[in-house]
Amino acid sequence: MSEASESSARQLATDARDRVRFEEEALDLSDQVYGVARRLVGSREEAEDLVQETYARAFRSWRSFRPGTNLRAWLFRILTNLNIDRGRKAQRTPDQQPLEESDYFLYNKLEETGGDGSTDERRVVDRLSQNDAVTALADLPHDFRDVVLLVDLADFTYSDAAQILDIPIGTVMSRLHRGRRMLKGTLAASATRES
Amino acid sequence: MSAYVFDPCEKCEQMMQPYLDRVLTEEERREAETHLDGCAYCRKRYRFEEEFRQFVRLAVTEPMPPELKAKLAALRTPL
Repeated sequence: MSEASESSARQLATDARDRVRFEEEALDLSDQVYGVARRLVGSREEAEDLVQETYARAFRSWRSFRPGTNLRAWLFRILTNLNIDRGRKAQRTPDQQPLEESDYFLYNKLEETGGDGSTDERRVVDRLSQNDAVTALADLPHDFRDVVLLVDLADFTYSDAAQILDIPIGTVMSRLHRGRRMLKGTLAASATRES
Repeated sequence: MSAYVFDPCEKCEQMMQPYLDRVLTEEERREAETHLDGCAYCRKRYRFEEEFRQFVRLAVTEPMPPELKAKLAALRTPL
């Protein structure tokens, strides 16, 4: 084998090894990617399609990932961009923006409607229903939901979320804080209706 | 934080999210903790907020269907 072809064979082997490692590391994150995808879209089927598209694109463009940088953020950027590209405008859009109450509002409401005057916090949070939480999250306007999901479900920092969504960090903070308040406002309304 | 809030509990309420996200300045964090040390009303609400975040995370998390894992593995580049 000539020196040139030996060097090119070595390069091919290095590429193959890097690609295998990249794909394995990306697949290790698939549970987290699915978890967020499931709440970005309305159904399990759509979430599965979105995750498959995300991985197909990630595997195709693996060379554009710079080793040593944040692979998780890179994958979630593909996910959120694809979700926007897929025309999320066509997805379920809340009729109106949920009410944004103050941060203590939900606790105050639950305590008020608790009836027995109990101050056991565990029981206060246990008064919330899982289905109501899923619905309240789905009712958040997209821009707010994206940030809440990235920070509160996927544990990204404000700064990572800003990079993933390509928005300023101040916008992340404001949407996150307001999104959480809307979530609590909607849950307070559901809890009050059910009590 | 706004300099125009004089009700200490109201100010503590405004600090709750950044406090739990650990993004307050050292000085703000100390201020929040000093208030929390002496205020059971706010302490309860901070504790509730932590539990609430945990509750939401668990409530909305759905495990990935096992067959999707296989589909994703099939997307890998053949060697």
